[in-house]
Amino acid sequence: MLRTLFVTPLCLLAFALPAAALDADSIVRQAIDHYRGQSSRADMTMTIHRPDWERSMRMQAWTAGDEKTLVRVTEPRKDAGNATLSVDGNMWTFSPSINRVIKVPSSMMGQNWMGSDFSNKDVSKDADIVSQYDHTLLATEEQDGHRVWVIQSVPHEEAAVVWGREVLRIRDDWVLLEQQFWSQDGELVKTLRALAIEEMAGRPVATVMRMAKTAATEEYTELRTHAVEFDLELADSLFTLSSLRNPRQ
Amino acid sequence: MHWPLTSLLTLAWRNLWRNYRRTLIMLLAIALGVWAMIVMSALMRGMTDQMVRNGLATLPGEAQIHHPDFRLDPSVVNHMSMPAGNLLAQLNSAPITAWAARLRVPAVLASEYASRGVTVLGVDPVQEAALGSLPETLLEGRMLASPDDRGILLGASLARRLDTGLGKRIVLMSQDTENNVADRGVRVVGVYRARLQGDEERFAYVGRGALQELLGLEQEVTEIAVSAADYRAVDAWLPALRASAGPGLEVLGWTELHTFLGTMLAVQEGFVLVFMVVVFLVLSFGLINTLVMAVFERTRELGLMQALGMRPALILSQVLLESLQLLALGLLAGNGLALATLLPLRDGVDISAVAEGMEMMEMGTTLYPLLAVNDMLLSTAVVLTLGLLASLLPAWRASRLDPVRALARH
Repeated sequence: MLRTLFVTPLCLLAFALPAAALDADSIVRQAIDHYRGQSSRADMTMTIHRPDWERSMRMQAWTAGDEKTLVRVTEPRKDAGNATLSVDGNMWTFSPSINRVIKVPSSMMGQNWMGSDFSNKDVSKDADIVSQYDHTLLATEEQDGHRVWVIQSVPHEEAAVVWGREVLRIRDDWVLLEQQFWSQDGELVKTLRALAIEEMAGRPVATVMRMAKTAATEEYTELRTHAVEFDLELADSLFTLSSLRNPRQ
Repeated sequence: MHWPLTSLLTLAWRNLWRNYRRTLIMLLAIALGVWAMIVMSALMRGMTDQMVRNGLATLPGEAQIHHPDFRLDPSVVNHMSMPAGNLLAQLNSAPITAWAARLRVPAVLASEYASRGVTVLGVDPVQEAALGSLPETLLEGRMLASPDDRGILLGASLARRLDTGLGKRIVLMSQDTENNVADRGVRVVGVYRARLQGDEERFAYVGRGALQELLGLEQEVTEIAVSAADYRAVDAWLPALRASAGPGLEVLGWTELHTFLGTMLAVQEGFVLVFMVVVFLVLSFGLINTLVMAVFERTRELGLMQALGMRPALILSQVLLESLQLLALGLLAGNGLALATLLPLRDGVDISAVAEGMEMMEMGTTLYPLLAVNDMLLSTAVVLTLGLLASLLPAWRASRLDPVRALARH
């Protein structure tokens, strides 16, 4: 059922819009750029929710280009200073309680990041979706007075991606409304959803995003953005191991 | 001195069957003892042999060549170049029958649902087939076709744990020579079944060339596995191989690579003998008792024979011959019984009921008893030597009887 639903518009599009693939590519590129900016600094809270407990961490995140990310926890106090640096697909963590920088080995890239529903890989490679996938525009919908593109992204044969395909819903102001992760059997495994969209730093930003597994609705991780700045001047020295260890901002 | 062997044999034989019930019981005891010795050592030998073979099939080979640091830190950083020159010539000469240059790296395989740490083996399928180190049973799909095959061969158990299967893509993550993350999507082209479930979850096979490319290597490998068919005769060719490999490489035989197996084999040899001696010690009490009784019942008769001029030495040999005949019959019956038990079990004993426990010892679900002629000869030697030693006491006592007193006994 699901398959036919997706295949039919796909075939139609292939005949009707030969340029659709190109369009889909640029839409995704735009959305990622919109979300990360050329560079960005964000103040956010990550809430990890489980049926029997919940915890929140306040953190600051810096990004530059597609390949550089630095995240530092500011609250609660026992986690403050924990930081993660990701450069070119490699990842390091710093924990003040042991005063050590640890390189995240490849064996742990698939594991969850700080106990959340995001994997280390999600954090270090979230811009990979642009280059490692083939994007196809599935449909264009209307929602709240906006146009919404539904894009199917199929990873390249040898891309380091486990998903069979991802389905992105991108609004015409480049906000990523939803990212669905489908298994190769055509089963929806998890979904990243924008729950609230607000104007911040002059552009619409998904301020509340929730990653939830389809199989366990009571387990999710929510990212709430309090403030964000885009396209600021960030020194290259920010994304280095010494800056990971010694915060200078 | 005249030695009337025929008459002595006849006497001993007839004496043996005077109390045939007692003799039969004793025969049964000896036969069962011998049967137990042979069957038990065949089972034990079969077990250790299988452990060694299984161990060497996954090790693999009877000797391996590594970078000197590889065994302490099995990372791709400690790689070595493909064999060339002297080493290559040595590897291709007798008695070495097969060798394989391979990449062995720790890696993580991730599917949509799970990820697991495994050892990924980058292999050349042709070399590995000669070595016999590829999985025996292919459940689905195909084996790797060439060193440049870009697919992956997974164990059935691992595929189940990853919730993936034939034809699906998984992500292979490892570290390259610069310690950077190296990852790539790979398609499952085959699912194999190994003898041991643990191996299914531990080893995944990919093409050597494809893995080299992922890890940023040219032609380098991390391991050369060498085999020359008989695992007991490694020392005959290992020194020459070591010399040709030169000082920059570590060449070790399987007893050093897998010390548990090496020790196991050595202990087993000694244990077979200990087991046989213990079984026979228990038996010997019955044997001595039987002979003592036989001599005791015949005190008057023995006295009479001595009075008629039979020498003590002949009496001694007569009792010993009686014991020897008893032992020989017992051995015949015992060996026959053991053969009759083991031959039908040649094709293996199903021990799947205790498979989980046996797997810890690298055993499969079938035990193949291994009947060694040596064990049969050893048990015969143990029984005859110890049996005659045990019979010496009653025989000695029979030969030292005082004819006058013996005849006066009622």
